Amino acid sequence: MINEKTMELLISSFPKILEFGLKVTLPLAVIAFILSTVLAVLVATVQFAEVPVLKQICRFYIWVIRGTPLLVQLMVAFYGLPLIGIHANPFVMAVIVFTINEGAYSAETMRAAMEAVPAGQLEAGYCVGMNFMQIMWHIILPQSFRTAFPSLFNALISMVKDTSLASSITVVEMFTRTKQIAGQSYNYLPLYIEVAIVYLLFCTVLTFVQKRGEKILGSYGVRK
Amino acid sequence: MKLLEIRNLHKKFDSTEVLKGVDLTVEKGDVVSILGPSGSGKTTLLRCINFLEKADEGDLVFGEKTYHLPKTSRDDISSIRKRTGFVFQNYNLFANKTVLHNVTLGLTSARHIHAKAAEEKALEVLRKVGMADFAGQYPSQLSGGQQQRVAIARALATDPDIIFFDEPTSALDPELTAEVLEVMRELAHEGMTMIVVTHEISFAKEVSSKVVFMAEGKVVEEGHGADFFENPKEDRTKEFLRLTKN
Repeated sequence: MINEKTMELLISSFPKILEFGLKVTLPLAVIAFILSTVLAVLVATVQFAEVPVLKQICRFYIWVIRGTPLLVQLMVAFYGLPLIGIHANPFVMAVIVFTINEGAYSAETMRAAMEAVPAGQLEAGYCVGMNFMQIMWHIILPQSFRTAFPSLFNALISMVKDTSLASSITVVEMFTRTKQIAGQSYNYLPLYIEVAIVYLLFCTVLTFVQKRGEKILGSYGVRK
Repeated sequence: MKLLEIRNLHKKFDSTEVLKGVDLTVEKGDVVSILGPSGSGKTTLLRCINFLEKADEGDLVFGEKTYHLPKTSRDDISSIRKRTGFVFQNYNLFANKTVLHNVTLGLTSARHIHAKAAEEKALEVLRKVGMADFAGQYPSQLSGGQQQRVAIARALATDPDIIFFDEPTSALDPELTAEVLEVMRELAHEGMTMIVVTHEISFAKEVSSKVVFMAEGKVVEEGHGADFFENPKEDRTKEFLRLTKN
């Protein structure tokens, strides 16, 4: 099936595909993931602390974002943000949308992880004189990060692949670049399989990073 | 010298009245044991004194000040907690911290004491409860009795005026119970002021300067140490003591 010409195409296109993967796809996913995790911690903490009004705002945010497609959110941002005077380049816009989107899901993951820390530890923290934020920082957050870590990494791996949706707002990422090469050569299938393998490669590396991360975060002396 | 006084403490959970006007006075150096059947409100009483539950009515006199329990400000609560210790039935050690850091955290984080000084203090109190050799371990690596001794060290580290013990041995088997009671006995002899909610009648008999018997949300009877057990006055107390004698 693979003739010499196809082979040559695959080899010559590989660095071009990889380049856009490393320069666009991965940075988009990783930056948005980090920002979304920060957002998720804030949104989860507001709910965990039962802050009135803010808590309702957070629930509303999660409800809207989880209830609408990512593709639609990208489009709304692309056409809507300039109307309110925000002119960002498509990459930055994609980072914003992915952050807001993933933040809503990760906030729920983080909230569940915070609630999984036995309430007695919060009480014990109060009893030794700590305030809520000190207890959050030293007791609740470290433990909930450990609990949420695999789920958060799931989200990152999903996001690496979902970045292809950014093509809809003119971001040329790895998949769009592949489509362009395929369009020029009229040889679609081998190139799509090639880009699939690159995605797989990225996610394999991330899975490895996850394993290392879980080791570093430790399990507080629990034997496994 | 009076250290702490509770006046007319009321607490409801939904429509269930758990505490129906409790009064309690604790002198400095007192070891007050609170006895009573399950559901009599002993634990709730302790939790209200330390604001883990919000009382519906009542006053707390602590040191030189009087606080109206339902309306005590956040700052007052915080300053009261900084002068008290609490030991829970389920230990409630911080799972992500080593034994040492379980003890230092209240010093470094809540009181901004330098890490070095906090560690010295922590090792001192851990030595006292016989847990200094376990300083680097995590709570999950310890037995229940060891965890409870660390929890006592954590309460001691902040040099509290009084320590509240909420059924500290109820989750432990007899052998582990003995090692925890031994530590508490020592504290009592050193003059630490303590309120102990307990089911350990013999411990209460031996160590208490004052025994309070509660039933159905009220103090039925209180007496001084051994006298309470030898000459109970109320029928409800006699009944309880008869049933718990085995």
